[in-house]
Amino acid sequence: MTRWAMVADLRRCVGCQTCTASCKHANATPPGVQWRRVLDLEVGEYPAVKRAFVPVGCMHCDDPPCMEVCPSTATRKRPDGIVTIDYDLCIGCSYCAVACPYQARYKTDRASFAYGEPTPAEEQRFDAKRLAVATKCTFCVDRIDAGTAKGLTPGIDPEATPACVNACITQTMSFGDIEDPHSNVSQLLAENQHFRMHEELGTGPRFYYIWDKKEEA
Amino acid sequence: MSYGPKPWHQSNWDFRAALNFIFGGAGAGLLVVAAFSGLAGDALRAEMLLGMALIGAGLISVWFEIGRPLRAINVGFNPFTSWMTRESFAAGAVFALGLAAAWLGSQPLAQAAALTALVFAYCQGRILQAAKGIPAWRVPALAWLNFTTALTEGAGLFVALATLFDTPAKGVLAYFSLALIARGLAWSTYRGSVAKSAARPALAALDRAGKILIQFGTIAPLALLLLGLFAADVARIALLLAGVAALATGWQFKFVLITRAAYNQGFALPHLPVRGTR
Amino acid sequence: MSASLTKGVTGTAVNAPEHPYAALASSGKRATYCYQCVAGPDLLKVKVTDGVATEVEPNFAARGVHPGGGKVCVKAYGLVQKTYNPNRVLTPMRRTNPKKGRNEDPGFVPISWDEAIETIAAKLRAVRETGLRDASGYPRVAANFGGGGTPQSYMGTFPAFLAAWGPVDMGFGSGQGVKCYHSEHLYGELWHRAFTVSPDTPMCNYLISCGANVEASGGVVGVWRHANARERGMKRVQVEPHLSVTGACSAEWVPIRPKTDAAFLYALMHVLLHETARERLDLEFLKQHTSSPYLVGANGFFLRDPETRKPLLWDEKRNAAVPFDTPGCEPALDRKFTCDAVEIGADAEVLAQGSLEGSPSFVKLVAHMQPYSPEWAAGICDVPAATMRRIANEFLDHAQVGATIEIEGKTLPYRPVAVSLGKTVNNGWGGYECVWARTLLATLVGGLEVPGGTLGTTVRLNRPLGERLASVKPGADGFMHYPMNPTDREHWNAQPNIRNAYRSMVPLAADGPWSQALGPTHFTWMFLKETPKGLPTVTLPDVWFVYRSNPAISFWDTKALSETMARFPFVVAFAYTRDETNQVADILLPDATDLESLQLIRIGGSKFIEQFWESEGFALRQPVVEAQGEARDFTDIATELARRTGLLEEYNASINHGAAGVPLKGEGWDFSLDPKRAYSREEIWDAVCRSASAELSDGRQTQGLDWWKENGFATKPFAHADWYLYPTLVAQGLRFEMPYQERLYRIGKELGRRLHENDMHWWDKQLAEYQALPPWKDFPGEWEKSLAVMGGGAKDFPFWLLTARSMQYAWGANVGMQLIKEVADNVAGHRGVIMNAGTAEELGVADGDMVEIATPLASVRAKAVLRQGIRPDTLLLLGQFDHWATPYAKDFGMPSMNSLVPMTLALTDATGSGADIVRVSLKRARGEQ
Repeated sequence: MTRWAMVADLRRCVGCQTCTASCKHANATPPGVQWRRVLDLEVGEYPAVKRAFVPVGCMHCDDPPCMEVCPSTATRKRPDGIVTIDYDLCIGCSYCAVACPYQARYKTDRASFAYGEPTPAEEQRFDAKRLAVATKCTFCVDRIDAGTAKGLTPGIDPEATPACVNACITQTMSFGDIEDPHSNVSQLLAENQHFRMHEELGTGPRFYYIWDKKEEA
Repeated sequence: MSYGPKPWHQSNWDFRAALNFIFGGAGAGLLVVAAFSGLAGDALRAEMLLGMALIGAGLISVWFEIGRPLRAINVGFNPFTSWMTRESFAAGAVFALGLAAAWLGSQPLAQAAALTALVFAYCQGRILQAAKGIPAWRVPALAWLNFTTALTEGAGLFVALATLFDTPAKGVLAYFSLALIARGLAWSTYRGSVAKSAARPALAALDRAGKILIQFGTIAPLALLLLGLFAADVARIALLLAGVAALATGWQFKFVLITRAAYNQGFALPHLPVRGTR
Repeated sequence: MSASLTKGVTGTAVNAPEHPYAALASSGKRATYCYQCVAGPDLLKVKVTDGVATEVEPNFAARGVHPGGGKVCVKAYGLVQKTYNPNRVLTPMRRTNPKKGRNEDPGFVPISWDEAIETIAAKLRAVRETGLRDASGYPRVAANFGGGGTPQSYMGTFPAFLAAWGPVDMGFGSGQGVKCYHSEHLYGELWHRAFTVSPDTPMCNYLISCGANVEASGGVVGVWRHANARERGMKRVQVEPHLSVTGACSAEWVPIRPKTDAAFLYALMHVLLHETARERLDLEFLKQHTSSPYLVGANGFFLRDPETRKPLLWDEKRNAAVPFDTPGCEPALDRKFTCDAVEIGADAEVLAQGSLEGSPSFVKLVAHMQPYSPEWAAGICDVPAATMRRIANEFLDHAQVGATIEIEGKTLPYRPVAVSLGKTVNNGWGGYECVWARTLLATLVGGLEVPGGTLGTTVRLNRPLGERLASVKPGADGFMHYPMNPTDREHWNAQPNIRNAYRSMVPLAADGPWSQALGPTHFTWMFLKETPKGLPTVTLPDVWFVYRSNPAISFWDTKALSETMARFPFVVAFAYTRDETNQVADILLPDATDLESLQLIRIGGSKFIEQFWESEGFALRQPVVEAQGEARDFTDIATELARRTGLLEEYNASINHGAAGVPLKGEGWDFSLDPKRAYSREEIWDAVCRSASAELSDGRQTQGLDWWKENGFATKPFAHADWYLYPTLVAQGLRFEMPYQERLYRIGKELGRRLHENDMHWWDKQLAEYQALPPWKDFPGEWEKSLAVMGGGAKDFPFWLLTARSMQYAWGANVGMQLIKEVADNVAGHRGVIMNAGTAEELGVADGDMVEIATPLASVRAKAVLRQGIRPDTLLLLGQFDHWATPYAKDFGMPSMNSLVPMTLALTDATGSGADIVRVSLKRARGEQ
């Protein structure tokens, strides 16, 4: 059974926000909505300071708190692990947004555009269905579904791969089937030490962060 | 605007959401005390209608906050896991039973409605507890604090209204006192359980509200109750003040809980990346 | 939410037949390139739906050849908004208010293209009639293109128009020299054909980076390579006063005091020369491939063979002094010698002859570096001596002296260590010392221009332009030839060809098409106020063209600069939006911007920053969508201007010769334009495309515009071995001019004589920099002295104010992009001044408080951003903001250090560069902003 997962190699990320921007392009999100974004994190005290850049977004958890609390069943989880939102069912109560420990969900009440009035590009992509309802990273599910229908491999074939992974200029982001032991993500996790965000909450996130290679046996 | 990695305040639920807990809790608590206080006839009717009106006001308030109010009916689709759905069912039951009780002037129906109101108040607390994104909400102790304050506010409202007519019955006052103490203890337990997980600004806000809750919402009303017990001539005014204080402090606490102390967890890394070599 | 959602900016429904985009109403993905900053060019595709550009994505078809996987950085994702920005100037405009100034509303009114071009052409024709140069000898026409040369990749055939015109003054800088790697440009090209320097990242194992913020400025390719390198295990030590994005991604951060990097690098050299066994250095490299053995006489010049005048070295085998190129030598590097020689100084004067005593340059170097121990440097740099000693030893330990590697069948030395320098380290005072020290550190371990080591990227001063290896020609003394501006009595001239006098003042700036921007570009602005003695009075230009350049924001002393600009009589600004510079324009011309216009450029080989390809070729930038409004392709504008100024033939001839990037005629092909015809942009670029195709295939293929639009790019192999200059020098029997700068010493003396002969003494401080072995000077002290000149004391202005790169903004007009601002705000420092949290606490400043940053003469306000990753004595203002006219950006509330930094001679070094650094005070601001 396919289970999609995202892997971010924190050794590589430089916080450039190219993934942030490309996600906005691919998904036509309104100003202020960043389904994918990168945090700038500082730890320590001068001069012993470290700084890291951390891509975040929906973790497509195994046990999503958002799905548990959603009163309308708009939020569901597919067998391949992708957590989806049915925009037509959602009542925009934002319960999922406060339930998410990763602050991955956004709701835009009113149509908003980069410069006030919509530009032609924004007009082209405007989707009234996404107003006043919860939205979040979908792992570019449309690309995955269209791609796999054509026999392409998400995470390997760009056409079938999430935009952020395609755009990443440091090869920080990888995407693939974690149930396949030979997939790119499985191999990355086998060879490197990794963690997940807020693991102690028991959400079972499918977003893995690599921080070092494994010691040789 | 850019947020994180340090915890920041949620911006999804504002005062409209807070009013749901504020009015809903007080209304449910009022129904509970009214139905079991021995009231009958028009007096009972009035309290039932007031309790339901408060619950209704809370729900209408939150109806104004949701993005797609015309789809509000969808809120009932997930009784399997969603406390918000369950809350809506409980509210439905409260209204059905409560309206029937008011229509027929029936005490048994009023008590049935009151039991569903207890469920309603419990659901509200569980709604908050299930919000894993907010450390100040996601502890079991909060559900109990929310529950006890609902009962206390309801009792306080009932007592305050009653003093306009007569001195409330001793049973009611005893219940009121127990509720006050239970709420005080619930706060203390709650505060202990969020000490390590809530962000500093959240704790600061909670402490300010909690101080008011204890000083003006627990100690003062208990003192006034005692005063009323021993000084009959000031009893009604003392009890009025006690009731209002119990109500108002609970409301301010819930307002702060939803709109001032609701910081998320932010982000932190258990390991920092190794860049090149150690 | 109104009906406007479906009507678009023109009020017509997007898919109605009469809508402007309907003509191109098609869907698909169009390939193009992005060269907004010098780290490019990179390749991308733009998705178009019904004639509307919607999404940017990588060009994965290029991932086999592009060293960054066919990807583009975040800035390119702003190109969709850049196209549809409602703040664009979309018609030509004419100024109606004759008064110019920051507070004068220009009163721009829309006019037709015909009127606009005719107005400009009339002015130009008048200039031609009067004379192309004015009474002072300066070109009457000036142009400012900013962007480190990248605007050339967007201006179509405009360079052909400029070439057809004749002399143009391109020295009105917008920051060139002070905001670029200036000293590195000049000394790098001299020493190893390195206009900019890069480590051989894919093979380097240990990199010392002094302020090179590559993770912000390295572009897609730089960032891609470094990410791979650190996953592979390359250790980078970032030596920088603040924890930049690069410092964050490095193995170690050394928070050095600003402007003390030379002391740091000298300390490293001291360890290599005085604390390690001599045999651990690459002695073979030093002896055979550098001027280390050249004997230096008592006057500081080489001892030369009396007959051939070639520099002498001491051959241990022959036990005699012989000319350096004598075969089969074993040069000595360790002691003094006496020999029959002649010592020749400035102006070919014989200073000594006969039996002269001399030391090998290497011996002089060792003695010179003796005082510069880590203990000496520790107090200057505020870095522990033990740290510097350890880093020096790590560098040496990783150098693998003696190792070799096979690259494409060739055996080359392998030295996986490098040193890179950043802005403010490699420019201004101390830039010479830092670049010299860095090059020497590479030299000592044989790691200069070899695999794994320190490499040059491209050439702009040496010719042929861009071709490093081909630009190597033998010069005197066994070194590469360098096109120095003359300093001898016969050829030196105080009659500069342009206002910044680079040809007279900066011999290293050479005299090619790029040299104008490599003279001291702030001189032009300064001398307009007061021309120093000896130079012809600096005059205002009759006509000034500005494109992709905003000096009123991006240079120094911006207030004064704006006032100066307001005196220009006729300014033609190619305007994207209104901005601080086109505030003083007389005509605004809306050029078709990145996704709307047509051009073919060269890609690959090796280019600036970290662009090392194993391919080279061309890429097309094609109109992805119809131009918005009345915007017109630059090529069409250039052709029309040429026609109306009577220069069409010269213009076409220039295109034929290669002004559009490729000569239109070659062995077996000829797509030359008929000089007498005015061609459309498609016709011109079709000819260029065919020529490029022919050049790539040695004449076998001649694909035209349609093919290039379909495919986007085409390449042929570029040898990896050609990344390294070392083999070329060896093949030509040349040596690296290291360590002893005898040539520069001589040139400095000659330049000094010429200047003094003309009673010009205002460059004396700079002349002192022409030293063969430069000692440390109190570089930080220069900025403290400058404070005194401004009327303040060092104690009252204790902070070092720095700036650093923001990848999200720099360069281009990205300050006006909402998307860019939104994503940039995720990176710390984009919304205020970064300061040390401990310092802030001492000063009673909380995060978000408004603070005032001041010199004795000016001040700015910013919100305090408290961080741990910055020295307590340092402040950081990212990027260059402080806009007051550019829409969207003017509401940022972010200041710039540019209004605080004065343009002064005192802070200008011998190459004409300055550094982005100033001493300031900081306190909580009182009152509202």
